[in-house]
Amino acid sequence: MKLSLSTLCPILLSTVLCATFVGCNVVRFTLNTPITQNDVAFIVPGQTTLADVITKLGTPDSITDSYTGVVATYRFLDMKYSRVNFGWLLKFWSPVDADLLISRTGLGTDALELLCDSNWVVTHHSFLRRLSGHSFNPYPF
Amino acid sequence: MLFFKPLAGIIIVLALIMTQGCAFSRGTLGEDIRSESVDAIKKATTTKAEVLSLLGAPDRLLQVNGRDVFQYYRYDAKVGSLLLILINFSRVSIKSDDLFVIIDREGIVEDVILSKRTDGLKFRFWPFGE
Repeated sequence: MKLSLSTLCPILLSTVLCATFVGCNVVRFTLNTPITQNDVAFIVPGQTTLADVITKLGTPDSITDSYTGVVATYRFLDMKYSRVNFGWLLKFWSPVDADLLISRTGLGTDALELLCDSNWVVTHHSFLRRLSGHSFNPYPF
Repeated sequence: MLFFKPLAGIIIVLALIMTQGCAFSRGTLGEDIRSESVDAIKKATTTKAEVLSLLGAPDRLLQVNGRDVFQYYRYDAKVGSLLLILINFSRVSIKSDDLFVIIDREGIVEDVILSKRTDGLKFRFWPFGE
């Protein structure tokens, strides 16, 4: 049976596409649900209590003492990892299982910290830091 | 139209060939916080000793704002993986249940704060999007 060009094209296209993704790993790791600025828009410093916050956001991950009151912290994490193994190509021709790996991990960590006074009223709130995690880019250089 | 039928067939065959398998894993840390035990704790009534008998020793003992805070927690992790020959997708989702029991200077429960975030935890393998 002779393969026509129209039949061959999709096969070639698929092969090229597959070769592009040789030995790829895409992994995502999330801890808790990220809290956004919109989620905390309801907090009015000096008026909102920790109980109000807990009603909307759930319990904090930690409560610690400070000189001026209590610090409640909500933590969340979003890690993205991608890896490409170009050595996978050699599997077909080489008896040696060689690896040529490039990978990159983006660790997006953040925390919402609430400073409450001795009456459990929120006096300040802010995000610890916001890292814009890369979008599964395995290129490490 | 004739072009699309073999194309669809090829794609299906390729997808079947490339699909190596799936993996589901789960890990937990700590025991489940039983709702009936938490419901038994009454504000301004239950004592520290009764809390300990209901829930056991806390995972963490804090001193906050002149009060003792008993923290109990449980972590639940669900991992879903789609293993293809050429590419693997995995997603790890971790959430926690936290219980804080605030006890005043007289040893009486002042407040009980519980949230169960693990109830909505699902197995996911698709790493993109939210």
